[in-house]
Amino acid sequence: MKLEMMISQMTAGMVKTIGIFAWTLIFSLPFGLLIAFGRMSKNKILSTIVKVYISIMRGTPLMLQLMVVFYGPYYLLGLNIGGSWRFIAIIIGFTLNYGAYFAEIFRSGIESMPVGQYEASKLLGYSSRQTFFLVILPQVIKRILPAVTNEIITLVKDTSLAFALAYMEMFTIAKQIAAANTTFLPFIIAAAFYYIFNLLVAMVMEMIEKKLSYYH
Amino acid sequence: MCVTVVGAMFPMGTFAEERTSLKVGFDAEYPPYGYMDENGEYTGFDLELAKAVCELRGWELVKVPINWDSKDMELASGSIDCIWNGFTINGREDDYTWSVPYVDNSQVIVVSKKSGIEKLEDLAGKIVGVQAASAALQVLQDEEQQKDLADTFATLQEFSDYNSAFVELQAGSLDAIAMDIGVANYQIKTRDKGDQFVILEESLNSEQYGIGFKLGNTELCDQVNESLEELVEDGTFAELAEKYELTDMVCLTSDEAE
Repeated sequence: MKLEMMISQMTAGMVKTIGIFAWTLIFSLPFGLLIAFGRMSKNKILSTIVKVYISIMRGTPLMLQLMVVFYGPYYLLGLNIGGSWRFIAIIIGFTLNYGAYFAEIFRSGIESMPVGQYEASKLLGYSSRQTFFLVILPQVIKRILPAVTNEIITLVKDTSLAFALAYMEMFTIAKQIAAANTTFLPFIIAAAFYYIFNLLVAMVMEMIEKKLSYYH
Repeated sequence: MCVTVVGAMFPMGTFAEERTSLKVGFDAEYPPYGYMDENGEYTGFDLELAKAVCELRGWELVKVPINWDSKDMELASGSIDCIWNGFTINGREDDYTWSVPYVDNSQVIVVSKKSGIEKLEDLAGKIVGVQAASAALQVLQDEEQQKDLADTFATLQEFSDYNSAFVELQAGSLDAIAMDIGVANYQIKTRDKGDQFVILEESLNSEQYGIGFKLGNTELCDQVNESLEELVEDGTFAELAEKYELTDMVCLTSDEAE
């Protein structure tokens, strides 16, 4: 296979990789915030359930979770899985897993806010909803950005785990090209793809960080 | 750009009541039976054969690359209709509904020429690689077959794909690889410096390839068998075998099929 062909095949795979990446981010960030609320809830039952959930998501491999989500409907409910379920299962699996990690990052940020801010907001007549969204959350986002960047960069590399469900993302295609042509070249290209993509991610995150540091 | 990205993110599924398509599961890292060709299309002896069957039947061929370790889950859950990819019948007779055997295969040992390994006995104390969940592994674990031989190895090392296994053989972290002869021939022929490898004359076993359907799915199996016979009669089968240099190995001829 010619080099240009390899690159164009792997670019097609990269579009799918970015698909996993983008959808996971879109769903797992808000989901993570919800989980964080559950974890901090005063309701003991809810917070215990969420604690167990986070513990399972962090304590078992993502690859295993993906297989459970994909094959589960067949083995548990006898449903026929085919067609687009493969992709949907991947997004659900990644979202459930990354949501748990993001939740803990959100919690660390929220719990680091001094009580005085809540008291001041209350005195100024803010409702608790207003307090959270107008006063607390903007500061939380600023504080947790470096940790979130870490997690996002890990996500880029974790997309390759979709190979376990035979989803044709970039790394799976690289392996297939490597097999048919008995060469390691596709892996070098794959490394470059991941690195460039992560470089872009890091640059974007740095821009956001700069933009948000308006009091410094 | 936006449209194409969204399109790729939501691949459309096919939900067929009457059979209009055949979802063939294959390992895309398994040349010459199933692999990605120069143009990025999935092809190979088995896939072209499947295509010919589908053309006869008026089905659409859906090529589903699978993870070989998960083939049973893929088949059981209905995300594929059959496993068609140099799939060894022997040892799995009761696990699937099988088509007629179409290739005579044998499991062989590949070694580096300069290793000095010439016979199966020479493998004693050596590190032998074998693909996970492969027929070769089954042969080496079966007490009635080559378990005694495997017990003489220093290690039986399982790997996931042949490309890295060959690199390990080249680099010396493996002393030998147990694998299908057709795949071994392809590797030796296409690999850079492939001529430094040699297939031991003594093979581990002889066996046959078939198409594996979900146990009990005789209806689909019969249809495919019927079409296969037709392809043997009209010479398409022999043509494909020649194209992939498998003529010595295929075991369906128009005389036998009658």
